[in-house]
This record gives sequence, structure tokens and C-alpha cells, in this order.
Amino acid sequence: MFKDSLIILRKELRRMFTDRRLLFMLVVLPLVMLPLMYSFMGKANKARMVEINSYSSRIAICSGEGGEEVKGWFLESLFTLNAHIETTGINELDSLKQRVIDKDLELLVVMPENMDEHVRDNSVFDLSIFYNSTGDYSMFAFDQVDIAFAAVAEAIIRKRIIESGMPEDVLTAFTINQQLSADETADLAEEGSAMGKLIGVMMPFFIVIYLFANSMKVGLDSVAGEKERGTLAMLLVNQVSRLSIVLGKMISVMVAAIVGAVSSAIGLRIASRYLIGMSRDSGASISDYTMGSMAILQFAIVVVPLAILISSLVLLVSTFARNVKEGQGMIMPVYIAVMVMGVTTMQTGDIPPEWMRLAPIFNSLVVLKDIFMQNAVWGNIVFSLATSLAVASVLVFITLRMFNDERVLFRI
Amino acid sequence: MLRVERLSKEFQNGRGRSKTTVKAVDNLCFQCQPGEIYGLLGPNGAGKTTTLRCLSTLIKPTSGNVFIDQFNVLEHGQIFRSRIGFLTSDMKLDGYFTPDYMMNWFGRLNKMEAGRIEQQKEKLFNDLQMTDFVNKKIDQLSTGMKQKTAVAISLIHDPEVIIFDEPTNGLDIVTSKAVTDFLVSRAESGKIVIISTHNMTIAEKLCHRFGILVDGELKEEGTLNEIIEGSTRDNLEDVFFSYILPGGSHV
Repeated sequence: MFKDSLIILRKELRRMFTDRRLLFMLVVLPLVMLPLMYSFMGKANKARMVEINSYSSRIAICSGEGGEEVKGWFLESLFTLNAHIETTGINELDSLKQRVIDKDLELLVVMPENMDEHVRDNSVFDLSIFYNSTGDYSMFAFDQVDIAFAAVAEAIIRKRIIESGMPEDVLTAFTINQQLSADETADLAEEGSAMGKLIGVMMPFFIVIYLFANSMKVGLDSVAGEKERGTLAMLLVNQVSRLSIVLGKMISVMVAAIVGAVSSAIGLRIASRYLIGMSRDSGASISDYTMGSMAILQFAIVVVPLAILISSLVLLVSTFARNVKEGQGMIMPVYIAVMVMGVTTMQTGDIPPEWMRLAPIFNSLVVLKDIFMQNAVWGNIVFSLATSLAVASVLVFITLRMFNDERVLFRI
Repeated sequence: MLRVERLSKEFQNGRGRSKTTVKAVDNLCFQCQPGEIYGLLGPNGAGKTTTLRCLSTLIKPTSGNVFIDQFNVLEHGQIFRSRIGFLTSDMKLDGYFTPDYMMNWFGRLNKMEAGRIEQQKEKLFNDLQMTDFVNKKIDQLSTGMKQKTAVAISLIHDPEVIIFDEPTNGLDIVTSKAVTDFLVSRAESGKIVIISTHNMTIAEKLCHRFGILVDGELKEEGTLNEIIEGSTRDNLEDVFFSYILPGGSHV
């Protein structure tokens, strides 16, 4: 039986690894896609930040009477910004708002009357800042002005504290990490784990996507394509058992899936240098992250059964479908569901909900995340392996039943 | 000898209350001797393809049986498959491979030794005049070359019974002749050849005996002379149309 499966497998693999177009789709694309994508995104992001930072924002200050001194403080705080400031009276408020809507102004600050009196009387006054959330420059200007005005607020409070005779220190309840010695660091994460976390968040998503995408590229044609071309009948009237045909085809789909997953993993590893560039606060470094031999073993123990499960699923759909087009229509909702699983895993914290560890596919993704974050537990690894193989066995059994059902194989 | 005994095949359409049963083949009986070419004639939907699929073990008869010598299709499917070569009209081989590679592959699927595969390949490539293109990708071949390749592949294991569904469908006159000549030569070497067709000219030239199948029932069966003698018509085509045209009458 396995000898027959091998005959079928060898033909499928020959097709896969000698057809340049297919090889490009299965191996090269997952490998270069992520580095290209992240390098492009990184460069675009950087260029955008440079552009926003060099942009001179147009800010209008609209104020009532009787607050010249405090208004001066606010204007002074804005001098450090790269901004063009207009000051106007309250009677122009409506036209200024329209200019914000038209993106002719980034920001409109409306100051109340008699601010000086409010500061003197220790009473609260309200500033209105109008912005346009559909404009990047407007939002950037809002953030800048918010920070600048917070400094004015602190200065006013400091003035009030001093005038009331209280010590200036009451403004500071505590400080954070100011007492550490020069050779101490506050981040006690193990070497490489920050990078591991960054990769661990993204990697399961891309692995499952490419496992599925490559399975579809090969698997749908594997049976539905043969039905469509009429070659399945020719295969079935030969001396090989139907189980051999199913196994041979399933292993070939699985190989395609694993090749895609490994390529995308290598691609993401290459892309991670751009990822670090995009998330400067992570403290991660590309050079201090390595996967040990144990992590690679754990990775294989999780990914191979997951590939078997996904290949079985695709092969089942391929067997049921009348042709490749119908198969694509049937598999698409499953593909979307698997993508949602990948995104959900990406967004769960360090401790995922318990049900995720029990559900097939989900549990493999969660364990993969653990492996990259260097906190995988063998019990979870073995459980994900067992559930993937159990579900795959059921799917292969159903596929085999379909292979023996003429209504499925020859339905028109 | 191949013997079809009271072969019937029903298909279920729909589900629940709207479920209907369609009788695709009804109580079909015929037999073929070695060296004989049997033509199964009938319009589209007559049950020709269903009959040939039953003969080639692809689908199971609802009732009745098919025998090759003492072996029957229901109990000896594996033996049956080793003794038949089956080809469907609508088959499109994977264009990426060469005829030579496909022959080797199907040879291995038929559990043939490498030496025997080579022998069979040489014989079939010569008989079907394929030697010029056996190492070209199937994608690069003409329709006729592709059909010759499909014929060769289906016969790599030198089966005793050759079952071809519409073997000349869509072929030009030259390739059509090459295929029919080849089938004649197979019959002359003692093989049983069963073909389905609705091309009466080819059927008359090629087949020794005929079965006219309409709505799953075998309306006529016998040699050309036997069929014509038993009717008021003077050729096979007229007899055939008398069964399928509205208002057509037969004796």
C-alpha cells in the first residue's frame, strides 16, 4: 500500500519541485513576501514620519478679551513647535471652524475670556481645541499642542503651589527608575525573549496562512482538478487501492504546506529587522534571538501535525468538490476562519483563554506562540499534536469514504 | 469472453420528498468474444457512459453483473481492473508531463516491472506512431497527439479488454483513422474491444457487433446484417434514427 502511495507521491512532488511557476508560488513567494512587505511598510512609515515632522502646522488661536498674560504663556509654549500661528478674535470662530473642516487649518484653539482672572482666583477654565480627525497633520498637531499645553498647566499649578506657600516638591509624588545604577537595566527579560515575543506574536499567523495557502494551491487540483480533467477515472481503474491514492495525495499536499510554512518562517525572520524598525519601543534586537535545537524540535512537533490536519481538510474539500472552482468556493470560508484564528492568537496576551488550548488548530497556534516566546510546556505541545492527528484521522476517514462513494466521485 | 448479465444502474436525484429514481441502464445483456469489436450506440443520455463505467469498476451496478471469464465485477474488482483498459472521451492529461513519463507512471501503478514497461512503451509508441513526441510536454502536443497518448497510457498494461468511451470524439479525420486502425489491430491480436459512439460511419466500419441503447434499454443487438435484416431500413444510421427521432418507427 505505501509503495503505491509513494508512486503517487513521487509524481506529485516532481510536479511541485520542477514546475518553476509552482515552485515560485510555493517556496519563493512565502520567503520574499514578508521581507518585501515589511521593508516597504518600514520605508513608507519612515518617509511619512519625516514628512509629518517637517510639516509646518497651521494653528489658529481664537481668544476673548482679558487674558493677555496667560495667553502669552500658551503662545510661548507653541514657539518650540514647527507651526505657523494665527491669532484672531472670537468673532471669526465660525469661519475658522470651516477652515479646519476644509483642511486649510490643522487646529483651532479657542480660549475663554478673562483667563488671567481664572489663574489668579485658582478657578478652572476650559480651552476648546478643534481638529479634523480625517487629517493626519491635524491629529499630529493636536498631539503636539496637547503636550505643549500640559506644560503650561503644570507651570500654572506650580505657580499656585508656590504662591500658597507650600513646598514645590508636593508636585512630585514619586519617580520611576531614576535611582538605578549605570550597570543596571529595568527590563529583566531574558536575552532574546523581547525579539521572541515580537516574532511569537506574528509567526503563528503567517505559518497557518501559508500552511493553508500552499495546501490549497496543490490540494484543490489534486483531486478536484483530476475530476475536472477526467484523469481521476483513469487513476481509479488501476491496480492501486483508494487508500493509497488518498495517502499519496495527502502527503504531497502536506509537503507543500510545510514548505510554505518553513519559507514563511524564514521570511519572517528576515523581515524581523524591519519589524524592529517599526516598533522602536520593544527593546528587541535581531542579533540576540536564536532558536535552540529544542525549540526547533518543538516547532516541528507542532507544525507537522498541523500541516497534516490542514492538508486533510483541503483534500476532503477537494474530493467533495466537482471541480477546482467549486472547491475554491467551498474552502474560502474555512480559509477565512483560519485567518481569524491566526489574528485572534496574535491578539491574545501571554496567557490565552483555556478554550484556545483545547480547540484544534487554535491550540497549535497558541503553542507555536509559546515556543517562539520561549515558554512552551511539553504537555501543551503533546496535546496539540494529539488533537491535530485525531482530527486529521477523522478527516482522512471521511475522505476515504468519499473516495469509495461514486455519488461523490462522479457527480456532475 | 466478456459477459454482461441483466445489468441495471439507478441513480437517486434530489432529497426527501423530491427524491426521484432515474434508471440509467435497464436490464442490459450482451457478450463479446476475444477478437471482437463491440459498438455501444446511442444518443446522449442513453446510458452508454454509465454502462462502460460499470464495466470498468468505476461504479457499482444496482443489479446484474459483468463477467470476464469466471471473474465478476462485484467480487473481483482488482482482477477486473488488471484485465481492462479504460479511456474516457473527456480526459485531459496533465500537460506538465511527457507521454514517456506518464507511460512509466501508469505502468508502475499497474505493478509492471521496468523491463516490461519499456517493452510495452516501445510497442505502443510504434503502433500509434508516437515516437516523435514522446519526450515533449503534453501541453505542447496537438489534440490528436494527446488522444494517442491517452490511448497508449490506458493500454500500458496490455489488457485483454479495451473499453473506450467515444474514442474518436473531437478528433480530426487523420487521428480518428489512426485510433480506429489501432483498435482494429488490437482486436485482430485477440483483444475484446468495446467502444461507445454516436458516429454511425465509424461504428459501421469498425465494429463487428452493435448494441443500440436508448433510455437505458438495449433496443437492438447483433451484427450489422442481423440488425438490418430485422428492420425495414437499409443502413445502421436509419435503424438508429428510427429509435430516437420523434415519430420514428421501427420493425
